[in-house]
Amino acid sequence: MNPDHHSSLNPSSSLKSRFTKTFLRSLIKINKQRPFPYCPREIFQRCHRVKTAADKSLARAAGSRRVWSRAMLCKIRNRSLRRGCQQRPSVRRIIIGYQTTKKGYCLQKKMSDDQEVGTDQASKLRKLVPGGEAMDLCSLLDEAAHYIKCLNTQVQVMRRIADIHSS
Amino acid sequence: MEKEKLFLNEGANSTAAVPIWNPCSFGMEMQSNKLNCCSDQLPNCFFNPNWDSSMDQSDPFASALSSIVSSPVTTSNAIPSSGGVGDPVMIRELIGRLGNICNSGEISYINNNSSTNTSCYSTPLNSPPKLNISIMDSQIIGNLPILGNGIPDHQSLAPFLADPGFAERAARYSCFGSRNLASNESELSHRLMPRLEPDKLQRVSSNPSEKATGRQANVNVDGNSNSDKKFSRLSRSSTPENAEFGDSRDESSVSEKIPGGKLSMKGLNDSNSRKRKAIPKGKAKETPSSSLSASDSKVVAEMDESKAKRSKSKEINGDEKDSTKANEEENSNQKQNKDNSKPPEPLKDYIHVRARRGQATDSHSLAERVRREKISERMKFLQDLVPGCSKVTGKAVMLDEIINYVQSLQRQVEFLSMKLATVNPRMDISMEALLSKDIFQSRGSLSQNLYPLENSAALSFPYGYRSQQGIALPNGMFSNGETQFSTNPLNAVLKRNQCMQLPALDGFGDAPRQVSTFWEDDLQSVVQMGFGQNQLQQPQAFHADSNMPGAQMKVEL
Repeated sequence: MNPDHHSSLNPSSSLKSRFTKTFLRSLIKINKQRPFPYCPREIFQRCHRVKTAADKSLARAAGSRRVWSRAMLCKIRNRSLRRGCQQRPSVRRIIIGYQTTKKGYCLQKKMSDDQEVGTDQASKLRKLVPGGEAMDLCSLLDEAAHYIKCLNTQVQVMRRIADIHSS
Repeated sequence: MEKEKLFLNEGANSTAAVPIWNPCSFGMEMQSNKLNCCSDQLPNCFFNPNWDSSMDQSDPFASALSSIVSSPVTTSNAIPSSGGVGDPVMIRELIGRLGNICNSGEISYINNNSSTNTSCYSTPLNSPPKLNISIMDSQIIGNLPILGNGIPDHQSLAPFLADPGFAERAARYSCFGSRNLASNESELSHRLMPRLEPDKLQRVSSNPSEKATGRQANVNVDGNSNSDKKFSRLSRSSTPENAEFGDSRDESSVSEKIPGGKLSMKGLNDSNSRKRKAIPKGKAKETPSSSLSASDSKVVAEMDESKAKRSKSKEINGDEKDSTKANEEENSNQKQNKDNSKPPEPLKDYIHVRARRGQATDSHSLAERVRREKISERMKFLQDLVPGCSKVTGKAVMLDEIINYVQSLQRQVEFLSMKLATVNPRMDISMEALLSKDIFQSRGSLSQNLYPLENSAALSFPYGYRSQQGIALPNGMFSNGETQFSTNPLNAVLKRNQCMQLPALDGFGDAPRQVSTFWEDDLQSVVQMGFGQNQLQQPQAFHADSNMPGAQMKVEL
């Protein structure tokens, strides 16, 4: 991981470095675990895994101080738990955990009703930004700004990786 | 009267008590007293933008300043009781020294008043006021370096204040000090500095740019409000800063020049637009409890004064009594008071909002206003983040742009993840290190706007895949809803690369048609339009590419 002193000098670079390292590691893991896909279904699965890895590493690099990063990690965890439940129904703990998380999410949904639903744009933004359902407009804009910044970094790094791989 | 005594007592107490910081604080206190005496000016804090940077350079000067300050402080220590008498002497000394350093280029201007100035001051003492006069002239802001030229009566401190930044700070401080003075009005100033005051006032009046001396208070008030604005970027108080602050305040107090109506107008406007966020006005008396709150309250008090025509003068005086330390903290917190200050205001434990002039004062509308301002502040920040939104005005359009941008970024991520998924992995640990280095080195290369970069992404994609192994990608695979949007171009490109995949060719023609129709259906986002254009351009690129094994693969779009 990037040394801490970098973050004070240039937070975006440390975010970028953290994301890059995590993402590359997960990419290597993905490539090692599965054979190179030759059928579309495998490619699709792989693409989904790569995307999940990218989102996860971005959320981890962004830190847990941000609502959107926490929400994204929870979403990914729930998704994996859900899949885990479907594949291994014997694990009841996971199911229970998932249900409680779902309830928590439902509570969040109810909270969103209290938020101002004045404009469609605000609701659209809420859907786009992970974890935006339960935030007021003010913090939603805040989170959106940070999310945009991190997305930019993510796209840059991924594009660079793709270019390197393809060249 | 009372205030003066309180000042004197404070000065005496401060001198007698162990300094909390270093002698600089003493000097500041004394100077604050002097400043309070003098109705002054406000070398306006035009220098605010440079304040923070100048503060960095201030440390070497701060120590020098502290030494300068401590010397008059020692003299004042000897005569605590007669602070009113000793202060003017100290003030003069300090001013003289400071003035020598910051000799302004307005020598000619100063010389015009030299006759009146020399009435009660020695030559060195006269320079600082003139200096400040020039400083305060808003048109002379650019002549800050000239400040260092000035009348070199005292060469000792010439290098000290040669730093234009110091002059700026001094001016700023003086304007702050003058603000305090304004609250105390002329009576206090006359009390504390009997000899100085009349002369100062005289000088002020003689100054052609100044109006009646009686307006000094008003000007001071306005200057205060302006100084508030100028101090918006003040950093947290630190000892050297405080030391400088005190000195500059002292300096400004002597200068007394008040850019009359100009500042007053500005002050009024500022006061109207000013909203005290997170500045507990009611905490004016609570100085020692929390430095921030005290300073905030002081700032609030001062600002209110300017706004309400010194309605809070008493409160301010009460604040003055607390300590100069609070004043400095106040200055440091002034930046927090400014809504439009660049650095975000640190959140206090609770938020106090002041009602603006002519606006509703009930709590709901105040809270609503706070909320609205917060939102507009965030929207401005987002405007900087999203490219191409600088000209957009209005919340709705801005939100639309933001939503489009976020959507495009997410699509790009999907697109790139698909690309990475299909890339033949040649990675190992060493590759990872190499890649990391490459990515960091090319940090700037990819800093182009990402919004329209989807075009470039699509463009780079086919070329990148030229050497890739063929992958059979039947068209139908990418008809899935999730990846359809982003992978249609990918699909088309991949198919182009796979000349060997004859079956793919059959579906090949479908891909571009699908892409084009797909793009035509969705005309909302610019990215989509750009993407469609890119797709249209690609066939020509492929036709021209002789390396393409699938030269026979012609895509009709």
